[in-house]
Amino acid sequence: MAAQPAKAPVASTSSVQKVERKRFRHDGATPHPRTHRQRSETLTAYLFLTPYLFVLIVFFALVSFYGVGMSLFTVDLGFTPPQFVGFHNYEVLFTQLFTDPSLSPFWISIVNIIKFTVIVVIGQTILALVLAMLLQTLVRGKGVFRTSFYIPALTSSVATALIFLWLYNPDGLINYLLSLIHISGPDWLNDPFWALPSLMLMNIWSTAASFMIYFLAALQDLPREILEAAEVDGANRFQILWRVTVPLLRPTIFLVVALGTIGAFQMFDQAKFMTDGGPINSTLTPMLEIYDAAFNDSRFGSAAAMSVILFIIIFIVTLLQRRFIDTSIQE
Amino acid sequence: MAQAHLSTNPEAQKLAPASRRHREQRLNWWQIIVYLFLGIFLVSSLGPLVFTLISSFKTMQNVLAFPPSLFPNPWIWSNYTDVLSNAYFLRWILNALIYAGGAAVLNVIFSAMAGYALSRMHFPGRGMIFTVTLGVMMIPLAITLIPKFLVANTLHINNTYFALILPAMAQPFSVFVMVQFMKTLPRELEESARIDGASRLRTFYQVILPLVKPALTVVAILTFQGAWNDFQWPLVALGTQDMYTLPLGLFFFKSAHYTQYNLLLAGSMFNVIPMLILFFIFQRYFMGGALGSAVKG
Repeated sequence: MAAQPAKAPVASTSSVQKVERKRFRHDGATPHPRTHRQRSETLTAYLFLTPYLFVLIVFFALVSFYGVGMSLFTVDLGFTPPQFVGFHNYEVLFTQLFTDPSLSPFWISIVNIIKFTVIVVIGQTILALVLAMLLQTLVRGKGVFRTSFYIPALTSSVATALIFLWLYNPDGLINYLLSLIHISGPDWLNDPFWALPSLMLMNIWSTAASFMIYFLAALQDLPREILEAAEVDGANRFQILWRVTVPLLRPTIFLVVALGTIGAFQMFDQAKFMTDGGPINSTLTPMLEIYDAAFNDSRFGSAAAMSVILFIIIFIVTLLQRRFIDTSIQE
Repeated sequence: MAQAHLSTNPEAQKLAPASRRHREQRLNWWQIIVYLFLGIFLVSSLGPLVFTLISSFKTMQNVLAFPPSLFPNPWIWSNYTDVLSNAYFLRWILNALIYAGGAAVLNVIFSAMAGYALSRMHFPGRGMIFTVTLGVMMIPLAITLIPKFLVANTLHINNTYFALILPAMAQPFSVFVMVQFMKTLPRELEESARIDGASRLRTFYQVILPLVKPALTVVAILTFQGAWNDFQWPLVALGTQDMYTLPLGLFFFKSAHYTQYNLLLAGSMFNVIPMLILFFIFQRYFMGGALGSAVKG
């Protein structure tokens, strides 16, 4: 999509060069001015690009191929040399899936992260949309609210984790507030049932605001005439919202859902910080399992295979979302 | 927003004054409900942070008291002095500053240079580099975590600032933002500069850079924020306590002071407050930057 406009200036450049070539030919001083100029332009361009190309090639391209290639080896860094094993790492993982996935940490983590992603993405998208729509109706005080809502998005995952570790404490603020309405709250992070929902809630809290900004921008760009036409036709507030605004926001909803999904699938920081996958693997996420396999068990090849599977899952899920949410793209 | 309201009002006035009054009354009820909801969200988004800040001045018994008290009794500063008396704490802040500052400065320079070449120059390979840039933006960063560690290991840069800064010093997303910004500048700018005899490099830093200051600021802020708050890559790439950045330091600080929430909360403020200060100075760039990836081609 973005690649096309990038090509547009090409036409204008070549016409400029044609004019220049004529001028140079008239001079008669340089025999092949165009190739010479082009060569020096190319050289200059690549000099400008050198640092970026270094990073792009080493830390993005090479690293991606390395990761895929490594999944075909057993690598344990230092004990034995890497050994080619073909699809063995994948075979092990898929055998676990087809025999007893509930015994395999990796597949447990995949189930956890699917639950986590579904709830978090739905929660943060709805919350972000509601916040943006409420803000949109305001005439005054909009800036103050927007700024305040954005502050959780600034807080790092580590600080958020520390703060919620304290709030989720069995004698913490959350259980105190619940006790006011006569509910005795659980030991959130040490209860296998409640630990994952606790992380979900915290994640929605810290991410909704950044997605709210996308909806605010999209709402501002909505064609006013359509909304006014609906109003003139006698549609009420909720009809306008459901029949006009939400359908017009589909591309933005897709963007928010896709970005949220990609982020949620890779959840690591807070799980590492607060529960380290526990209690009894209830908050184990794929990234945590990949980290443990590589850095605690020295199974780098196996960890790379897990990364590849996770990547494929994220990729397929994003494609499906695009198909079902952003229907405008296909037509 | 306000203008839109003004423009619709006179029409409504002309059409039906009676129904307008009726609507205005309904609007008031509607607005009360809106403000009520916004108030609830306001408390839940600011509450945890404000309560943390206040509680970082409490004693340990006070911070863990049940029922919790809103205000510290007594107010104490010693949590902050205790945190700073940890032999490594200042070093962690310094390391985080080096990582975030180094990455921000280099990324602004290098991505502007790359963006300039990709948006304003004509050379073979340009289309491919731009396509690859868009492509790698889709790769989830976490997937490359393990191989990135092994590459850094091969380069013998693990547990150094190089391991932190090198991968962050020219980011595809920043290059993309720069290309989007620079594409919109008129071509005549460079042509007149060239006629005046300025070299490409001079055109770049004397003509182009001053015109894309907003983009430079957005990239600088986003890079700083990303590196300052980064936890995963330092956890993987760093090995010794003296090299830890602040988020990683806080992780180990947490293991060492597991139930001393008074110290943990004070420690977390060292991570949060600098970001808040930056946010209040450069607010509009933050929100614009958050939108960056939605910039339409």
